[in-house]
Amino acid sequence: MSPKTIAGLTLTFAAMAGALYIGETSVSRSARQDRVTVVYWEKWTGAEGEEMRKVVDAFNRSQDRIFVQYLSISGVDQKTMLATAGGNPPDVAGIWLDQIYQFSDAGALTDLTQMAKESGLGPDYYIKGYWDPLNYRGGLWALPSTPASIALHVRTDLVPAKYASPETFPKTIEGLDEMNKEVSKISKDGTIELAGFLPSNPGWWNWAWGPYFGGQLIDGDKITVNSPENIRAFEWVAKYAKMFGPKEMQSFQSGFGNFSSPQDPFMSGKVATELNGVWKGGYINVYKPDTKWFAVPFPYPSDRPDLAGHSNLSQDVLTIPRGAKHPKEAFEFMRFVQRQDIMEGLCNGHGKNSPLAQVSEHFFQNHKNKYIRLFDALARSPKSFSPPKIGINQQISNEMTVAFQEVNNGDKTPKQALDDAETRLNALWKTYQEQVLNK
Amino acid sequence: MNRRREARVGILFALPWILGFGIFLLYPILASLYYSFTNYSILRAPKWIGVSNYQELVGDKVFIQSMGNTLYYLIGAVPLGSVGAIGLAMLLNTKVKGIAFYRTLFYLPSLVPMVALGTLFMWVFNGDYGLLNSVLREMHISPPNWMGDPSWAKWTLIMISTWGCGQAMVIYLAALQDVPVSLYEAAELDGARLWQKTRNVTLPMISPVILFNVLMGMIGALQVFAVPYVMFPGGAPARSTYFFTSYLYDNAFQYQRMGYASAIGWVMFVITLTLTLISLKVSDRHVHYERS
Amino acid sequence: MTNTQRRTLQTILTHFVLIVLGLIFAAPFLWVISTAVKPIGETMTSPPKWIPSEIKLSNFPDAITYNSKELGYIPLLVYARNTIVVTILCVCGAVASNAIVAYSFARLKWRGRDTFFAITLATMMIPFPVLMVPTFSLFKALGWVGTFRPLWVPAFFGGAFNIFLLRQFFKTIPSELSEAAKIDGASEIRTFTSVVVPLARPALTVVAIFTFMGTWNDFLGPLIYLVDQKTFTLSLGLQAYQTQHGGTPWNLLMAATLLVILPLVIVFFFAQKVFIQGIATSGIK
Repeated sequence: MSPKTIAGLTLTFAAMAGALYIGETSVSRSARQDRVTVVYWEKWTGAEGEEMRKVVDAFNRSQDRIFVQYLSISGVDQKTMLATAGGNPPDVAGIWLDQIYQFSDAGALTDLTQMAKESGLGPDYYIKGYWDPLNYRGGLWALPSTPASIALHVRTDLVPAKYASPETFPKTIEGLDEMNKEVSKISKDGTIELAGFLPSNPGWWNWAWGPYFGGQLIDGDKITVNSPENIRAFEWVAKYAKMFGPKEMQSFQSGFGNFSSPQDPFMSGKVATELNGVWKGGYINVYKPDTKWFAVPFPYPSDRPDLAGHSNLSQDVLTIPRGAKHPKEAFEFMRFVQRQDIMEGLCNGHGKNSPLAQVSEHFFQNHKNKYIRLFDALARSPKSFSPPKIGINQQISNEMTVAFQEVNNGDKTPKQALDDAETRLNALWKTYQEQVLNK
Repeated sequence: MNRRREARVGILFALPWILGFGIFLLYPILASLYYSFTNYSILRAPKWIGVSNYQELVGDKVFIQSMGNTLYYLIGAVPLGSVGAIGLAMLLNTKVKGIAFYRTLFYLPSLVPMVALGTLFMWVFNGDYGLLNSVLREMHISPPNWMGDPSWAKWTLIMISTWGCGQAMVIYLAALQDVPVSLYEAAELDGARLWQKTRNVTLPMISPVILFNVLMGMIGALQVFAVPYVMFPGGAPARSTYFFTSYLYDNAFQYQRMGYASAIGWVMFVITLTLTLISLKVSDRHVHYERS
Repeated sequence: MTNTQRRTLQTILTHFVLIVLGLIFAAPFLWVISTAVKPIGETMTSPPKWIPSEIKLSNFPDAITYNSKELGYIPLLVYARNTIVVTILCVCGAVASNAIVAYSFARLKWRGRDTFFAITLATMMIPFPVLMVPTFSLFKALGWVGTFRPLWVPAFFGGAFNIFLLRQFFKTIPSELSEAAKIDGASEIRTFTSVVVPLARPALTVVAIFTFMGTWNDFLGPLIYLVDQKTFTLSLGLQAYQTQHGGTPWNLLMAATLLVILPLVIVFFFAQKVFIQGIATSGIK
């Protein structure tokens, strides 16, 4: 070999070794020798991430045995699953409530029942609507980080005076439809200038329309997405699509700015009302504090007054992936987050209500959201509902979104769209029962 | 050097590939064939279930839809991309000033990471404040809502892929530079015009490269993933941009159905193989190979 | 019309077409550039505003340090470092391994060589997604998920496309040259490194550039194998910018995008001649 080749080869190998070294050290997590390091992956960034960081820092200061390393991970759900499969999961993973059923069926989560019992966490400690969804197939799979309830937000200045207060705003769906007709402004060529209400905005809970009409997506072991209530809900969606026109709606909505910007359709006055979570108030404070608004429970169909005061409940949750190296220490951190003062600080930081049964007066009075008591009441309402507790929850949500889009675009009738979803979900559920649940 | 020694050295030289072939191709292929007959979640060992996965695929409307979408995309993107790439390559094969600049300009899009491409185009194609539509409106054309309308969403992706035809373009460019000048001179003596020269000299001379690029383009189109993944989460609107690889990816990594995902992969493989064989057969008569 | 006149006209016409098409091709880029120096308020106006009211060069440092406070490191630089590490390894691996293997296919005689080469060509047809699941399982079994290894180790074992490209090129090198070296008593390795490799520089450049770009832009691989945001590559990291932060700061994202593609543009601008020559001489046929 010529000296040149040898030099070249040496250089290549040196570069490789160097690159490898840098590469590998960046993978191995910086640990603190004297403490047990608990690796915590969370989805949040920005202000919400900062609030959690404060909690982590407080925990790290509160004792000298455990050090929680807080990492912000994009796509945290899939990454957690991949890392668990790869045998190197984080000790704590902050995912979404509706995923824990599939994750626990897949054997990806640690059952927290025993540890929770030992540390005094149980049904009495939490609001029922938040505790129950965490329990599934005889196990406890997660603890809440921050929860939410959902309500209709109304722009005081964009609805007629007769509707402009929580007391006088329509209580029923029919009243909402009436309001929508009065408020919406459509120009002669069909361009929408202002929408009273748009079912497709923000479009995050397409599965929840049926439940708002008193329907269920599953009934025990049966999928019921095409139940009469669900069809009724989608017929209601179709009515809005027909009134506004699918093309016109698409064009109108493509001009909506992001929800965390002043160009948000609600803040910029493109929609007069919007179904959204408790956090909306916090975003309004930050991006357009002079917005005049109030919140009311989402209306109920006039023939179902029993549904009054309903909301869909969602939660961000903390889990311990199976195979985590320090589950005990991880739980200790999670327990710390559940302390009433810590939890209330975090929830207020996120502009959300608290998942705990006990809520201090201080929390209500200092909360960023002036309607926090309403959201708290919605969370405690027996009419409120959560995502279906089933392993194919994601697929149900996906299918409902597709069905929603088909109905909203006028491609299928509500019945057709939901029958198709039902057929597909039944097949998926059957396979899931055979393959995952071994039935 | 005797034969046996040469054979030994030859195999030694080829060893990386022999290993690579075995580890990264042969094994995964056989394993994926096996997995496609099993129920295999990411966290649990595979369990033999016979042809169930394939049976399920036959009746799986979303799979059929994703297959339809992929073929639609392929039929749109491959011809458009080929015509675009050949046309550009011919333009860039001229000897004008600043050709390096032009070449870089047209190759640029192939340099952009897919994700950046997706984000960039989410913007260009936005129905309301998008770049494209504002230009169209200037021209008094009432523009469609590219990304929100199921019938236009796939065309959005096809247009993006055409915009990124630079990779094929440089290969054509290289092929064009290889066409002997004497052939053109002879054609010119016969009084051939530009179109005749293109038809009778250029295209036959680069036909093997066209075949190569079309095959590569087809294989690429069948695997389209990153741009739709970024631009159209979940294949929105109404799964009109949900492709083979999207469905395979979701099954493998979102629903933890590795076995089912492998079956999808195998169907995809068979389709690729069929399309390749058809192309080879069809091209047999049209591709001109230099005998040297 | 004289010949010279016609030629001039042709040149002008060519320039015209190139400029018009070039503008269409470049429009999105100009848009990226224009957005990268805009204040955030002007990024989403209708109709779009091409010329920003003020040139905000501070978007670049802001883009680089974006979110660094919350993450505790500077994400864009970390992504860039990761990408460079993986890319260097892949380029070294691909050039070295493919050259050796292609040489064997082109110049050395051994039993089954041609059959194996045909099979190699056929493997170009196998879509990556088919291999995705078992390859993932393989790396999982090796405990490599979450490390860079799944992204670069395979590069050291060659790839069908590059082997094919180089083999075609090696075939064009007159065999007398290597024969002469052998008669002088050079070993096979010596002949390869001292005679063939220097002549093959354009083709090796092509392999290097293709690998460079493929790795730099790879999305699916990092998406599957990298779990910790600290290990993300640029193409994955850019997506993290976009989806995570509710209100995407478009101007910063575009500034970051510009920084990401700049090295590629520079490399291509200077290498384009050798690059195209390399493809031409290796002849994909």
